[in-house]
Amino acid sequence: MKTTDQRPAWLRGVLDLCLLALLDDGEAYGYELARRLEELGFGTIPGGSLYPALLRREKLGHLHAEWRAGDGGPGRKYYALTPAGRTALAQERIAWRAFAGSVEAALATTEARR
Amino acid sequence: MTAATWLERLAHELDALGVPAADAAAIVVEAESHLGEAAADPLASFGPPAGYARLMADALAPEPSAAGTAGSVRAAGRVRARAVAVRKRYRGRTVLDGVDLTVRDGEAVLLIGPNGCGKSTLLRILAGLVRPDGGRVEVDGAVGYAPQHGGLVAQLTPCEQFVLFGRARGLSREAAVRDGCRVADQLGWDAARAPVADALSGGTRQKLSVALAALGAPDLLLLDEPYQGLDLDSAQRFWELLWDWRDRGRAALVVAHAADAIERADAVVELGGAVALRSAA
Repeated sequence: MKTTDQRPAWLRGVLDLCLLALLDDGEAYGYELARRLEELGFGTIPGGSLYPALLRREKLGHLHAEWRAGDGGPGRKYYALTPAGRTALAQERIAWRAFAGSVEAALATTEARR
Repeated sequence: MTAATWLERLAHELDALGVPAADAAAIVVEAESHLGEAAADPLASFGPPAGYARLMADALAPEPSAAGTAGSVRAAGRVRARAVAVRKRYRGRTVLDGVDLTVRDGEAVLLIGPNGCGKSTLLRILAGLVRPDGGRVEVDGAVGYAPQHGGLVAQLTPCEQFVLFGRARGLSREAAVRDGCRVADQLGWDAARAPVADALSGGTRQKLSVALAALGAPDLLLLDEPYQGLDLDSAQRFWELLWDWRDRGRAALVVAHAADAIERADAVVELGGAVALRSAA
């Protein structure tokens, strides 16, 4: 059976949450966030997923964006967590941990039956 | 596609979607900055400009019922095509035995069934290429039909075919090329510099066939296995194109095998039993 990289499909549901979590460390711009996610083992983060997620959270009031001049190139848009974003992060972190626990429980059940 | 071309098309698509100029400029500059730093291929990283523009426009102005997913509740449009008790025999064999089907505006209907159950025949009947032996067929408006194989002019480039097919639909040379390249672009294919149809891969010929069928935005799109054998990414782009199509209020009927298609279509009609599995609205 052909194995495909399942990470993009899985990431789709949690990219927003991961971005909020990374920004809890301090402000960052898009490509910087993509690189940090890549370092964490998510694989390449397509711009086509990254920026819509950031914009969505900006419009929800979870992120505050600010433009800075780049080094020579076009400007960079820096994102920072707002208080509302911090609250959302706390809630979503709990919800995700419960969900991840359920997935783990399901996997462990079938493993135990072997 | 070069980054400059991609960014230019992105700006054009954002404008077409009515995104305010300041927001559009920010979106373009951010993408430009990313492409510069990541040294990434724009199509690989961001997808087709049209698709990315739509994602960003949606993120800017979220709608309560997000368009672009199957199963979102939309008002059923007017009936665009209807088949009632359609029968067809080929060489003494019954291919279609009393098939009923309705396609409405704003609906992407999937037609499934085992091999030889008459899916392609039904499409050809709706396209007006084959006469049914019995029953009634009504199609209201212009039809764009992409056969499973063939239908292309072997020795013409995609752009030449856009011009040729576009003329039949009253499109100027420029409008035909722009329309055709735009659909190709949505499917992740750069048609502008592609060689003659004979030199294209099977998958690319399928994309060309879809782009030709969609030329001039006919009322009803009939597609026979448009992404059979293509990779997952192409299948996804294909469905995004279809969602876009139906979100603009047009109708589509698609023959496909892939199990994933059932979840993505608005309604499913199964032949070889002719049962409506799920109907929209």
